[in-house]
Amino acid sequence: MMKDKVQHLFDEPACQKNQANSEKERRTGCSKPLTPGAAAGGCAFDGAKIALQPVTDVAHLVHGPLACEGNSWDNRGSGSSGPMLWRTSFTTDLAEIDIVMGQGERKLYKAIREIATRYRPPAIFVYSTCVTALVGDDIDAVCRHASEKYGLPVIPINAPGFVGSKNFGNKLAGEALFGHVMGTVEPDDAGPTDINVLGEFNLSGEFWMVKPLFERLGIRIRASIPGDARYADIAAAHTARVNMVVCSTALVTLARKMQERWGIPFFEGSFYGISDTSEALRNTAALLVEQGVAPSLLDRAEALIAEQEASALARLAPYRERLAGKRVLLNTGGVKSWSVVSALMEVGMEIVGTSVKKSTPEDKDRIRALMHDDPHMFEAMAPRDLYKLLAAGEADIMLSGGRTQFIALKAKVPWLDINQERHNAYAGYDGMVELVRQIDLAIHNPVWEEVRAAAPWDDAGQLTAAHSESAGEGDPSKEPAASAYVARHRKKFADTRVDNTDPNFLAHHRKKFAGAAGDDMGEC
Amino acid sequence: MPQSADRILDHAPLFREPEYTELLARKRENFECPASTADIEAQSEYSKGWEYREKNLAREALVINPAKACQPLGAVFAAAGFEGTLSFVHGSQGCVAYYRSHLARHFKEPASAVSSSMTEDAAVFGGLNNMVDGLANAYSLYDPKMIAVSTTCMAEVIGDDLHAFIETSRQKGSVPQEFDVPFAHTPAFVGSHVDGYDNMVKGVVEHFWEGKERQPNDTINIIPGFDGFCVGNNRELKRILNLMGVKYTMVQDASDQYDTPSDGEFRMYYGGTKLEDVAAAVNAKATLSMQHYCTRKVLDYAADKGHMTASFRYPLGVSATDELLLKIAELTGAAIPEELTLERGRLVDALADSQAYLHGKRFAIFGDPDFVSGVTRFLMECGAEPVHCLATNGTKPWVEDMEALLASSPFGADGKVWQGKDLWHLRSLLFTEPVDFMIGSSYGKYLERDTNTPLIRLAFPIFDRHHHHRFPLWGYQGGLRLVTTILDKIFDKLDADSNEAGKTDISFDLTR
Repeated sequence: MMKDKVQHLFDEPACQKNQANSEKERRTGCSKPLTPGAAAGGCAFDGAKIALQPVTDVAHLVHGPLACEGNSWDNRGSGSSGPMLWRTSFTTDLAEIDIVMGQGERKLYKAIREIATRYRPPAIFVYSTCVTALVGDDIDAVCRHASEKYGLPVIPINAPGFVGSKNFGNKLAGEALFGHVMGTVEPDDAGPTDINVLGEFNLSGEFWMVKPLFERLGIRIRASIPGDARYADIAAAHTARVNMVVCSTALVTLARKMQERWGIPFFEGSFYGISDTSEALRNTAALLVEQGVAPSLLDRAEALIAEQEASALARLAPYRERLAGKRVLLNTGGVKSWSVVSALMEVGMEIVGTSVKKSTPEDKDRIRALMHDDPHMFEAMAPRDLYKLLAAGEADIMLSGGRTQFIALKAKVPWLDINQERHNAYAGYDGMVELVRQIDLAIHNPVWEEVRAAAPWDDAGQLTAAHSESAGEGDPSKEPAASAYVARHRKKFADTRVDNTDPNFLAHHRKKFAGAAGDDMGEC
Repeated sequence: MPQSADRILDHAPLFREPEYTELLARKRENFECPASTADIEAQSEYSKGWEYREKNLAREALVINPAKACQPLGAVFAAAGFEGTLSFVHGSQGCVAYYRSHLARHFKEPASAVSSSMTEDAAVFGGLNNMVDGLANAYSLYDPKMIAVSTTCMAEVIGDDLHAFIETSRQKGSVPQEFDVPFAHTPAFVGSHVDGYDNMVKGVVEHFWEGKERQPNDTINIIPGFDGFCVGNNRELKRILNLMGVKYTMVQDASDQYDTPSDGEFRMYYGGTKLEDVAAAVNAKATLSMQHYCTRKVLDYAADKGHMTASFRYPLGVSATDELLLKIAELTGAAIPEELTLERGRLVDALADSQAYLHGKRFAIFGDPDFVSGVTRFLMECGAEPVHCLATNGTKPWVEDMEALLASSPFGADGKVWQGKDLWHLRSLLFTEPVDFMIGSSYGKYLERDTNTPLIRLAFPIFDRHHHHRFPLWGYQGGLRLVTTILDKIFDKLDADSNEAGKTDISFDLTR
């Protein structure tokens, strides 16, 4: 069953990259095959958990040994505007005896019962893991049974770690939403300008910087999936008129299937960068108009875009002076490289290289168009090569995820975390201004001078010639005790009056107290 | 009554019980002629504004919460850094009890010192008899190797001549002819504890060096200065010097005296610079001071003796430690070992790891002149911004120094130097020009409460937190401790500002 699903997901007509492959290549999978012995990213379980955990009002129950939940809990800072149940860590915590005795299913059922009765969430998502998939626990059956018994949706998420990469896990998560959740609720308020945003994680609450823009155009976000989503909104997502896919590698399959089943058109876009945000608003408006909304929406969108772009560019202007000519290396995963590229070029920064590991051929074309002469695109870069490039001083800053930032530091290059663990919101017009501000801060932190400078002595720990030359000049503390120095030193402190052995000074003080009797001193 | 044998309440919850709150409210209403709550509120608000700040800064006669102590405290601390040395403070005994409790509360160690217990008749007739009797008693009761004499205001106001008194006592047999009794005049109404330290250390070296023929050798002397972190700092400094293989004498080292083990033995005297080492230190090639404003006179004296001298300003962080090591290498020809180069790299690594959290944070700093200078320099090194730099016992040359330091970095652009100002001034500064954090001593906690500015305790005295002084701030290792202490407060604040469930916890992140 799993094998069929895997094959099915590997065939993605909406993915140009996938379609460019031969049928045989497609069968082997679109994700890069895992290489035993080479450093790798997360597993399919991790991918599924990442893609779904930001759904805020759902209880996320991990069926497996405790570490699957422990390690994946809250490892990115999605924001919730309401329910906090998603941050409560639920796991069946399987132990050896459970596995040997085959008690996993029973334990899972009990766990679901406890959550259902104690928390009454709108739904429970149950994640399988390597162990429970290997021993053959039928979580679909347990979920179905529990769902009937307790009267709430219990959704099986079949993405055990061994089935593939993290990215594949994202797809499986989308598959679960499509298969079990969407279309199960008919909202009574479906409107002509409802849209969904797929693959938006609301990291550091950054979607909230974009949402008001849509609202100003009268566009309602039916569901932002998964960031700050509610179960009922996802269940009603099929009533939206347009889908915008933000992180295409994660959820494009979901978008394509929603188009096939419910006729919802979708486009891929991004909120990173000024032109991209504008493009996203423009495309949304255009698709809605195609869907029958009054064409005046297009004009209103253009007016909003003009206003917002002008404001953002005005706020970026001061940074141009400080950042123009600075060289940036982009080593990003999920964040679309080209969208950040155009924003950085706005302030005159030079892009010395950008990773295209997760970019589509179209992405690459856009990068080529932006960086006319020499795009310096690279596929995944091994840490050693990355280090070499950085150590050669070819970049003033690297923008990357948390895992490679320490390589930059060892190569004495500043970095900025623009991946999922970042703590600042970079989406939309305001977000891009913030990104540039953060780059400015990171590049101009004085610690980098110290990072780049070697210890001020030679390899043998001896003073250098440069030091010997400069010693004894300028700073008085470095001067030898020449008599002239001593005299000057004295003079410098002549007025400080702490020299209580100075007879004149003491005499003065005594005079001051001369007429005073003991009582006048009080408790002095 | 709320107190019962079954459930004994501590004072904090006890006085919050209704019986007490009612009683205290009644007392206030009936007997204290209180101002109205509105008036108090209005006055409290007024004290936070610019108008009040101007009046506050114009204040001339009154000092409120000075961030300094008096000379004899510095002298008692200085004396604790010499082998077998008993502090003998000539003057009134109450003062001496203050120094002892002050030091004991900070170091959580016994602090021994005696006084000549001057009384009214001594004030009228002079304190000679007290000196004669006092030295005799102290010598026989406490069996010291050396008695270091300093003074309180009382003795200074009546003008007792320590040198003459001590010689008279010697002649009268209070102490043996050859017994070491260095002395320093340390009136509390002049300068502060940093000057008392300077005077006492100078008194000690003068006692051993005066009239000696100097036979120059290649050792160096290091005077650490008045330092609440002496336990950690001096040990770290000695570790560094040993790693470099330098021949050195710590002149004044209280690190062992204020950190004795609990093993059943009471050590009234423990550690400290050996007296013969102090005497031999006259032959050193150079004398270095870790705290310039604690050692101006003793350095002058060493320079007079023919030593090369150099002083630092409580060196903290990478570049200041670099300077220290380079100076030591320059004076001694010693190489800087690989181990220290590695430690340096690790500190640089740590500062870079955390730079985003330090960058642009605004700080108020108060404390002794050298401390304020050292912290200011370190903060600018991290990209943080010193804003209010206050030393009640700062001097004009310190102001010039500080202004030059602030001008040396763009991060010092907003920095203002406040010399001779007190903590009530700082309160106005914090209200009118708020900062993110404050670095200073435990006395800052009242400002923290009033102004909501989180306090990072790094300066003497630290009464309300334990054991910080056992860890170094100096050196590259100390730099790690320093940046960790500052970061802990930054992260605590970040968490505290984002931990209200459902309201502010959007960024209550596990990873920071």
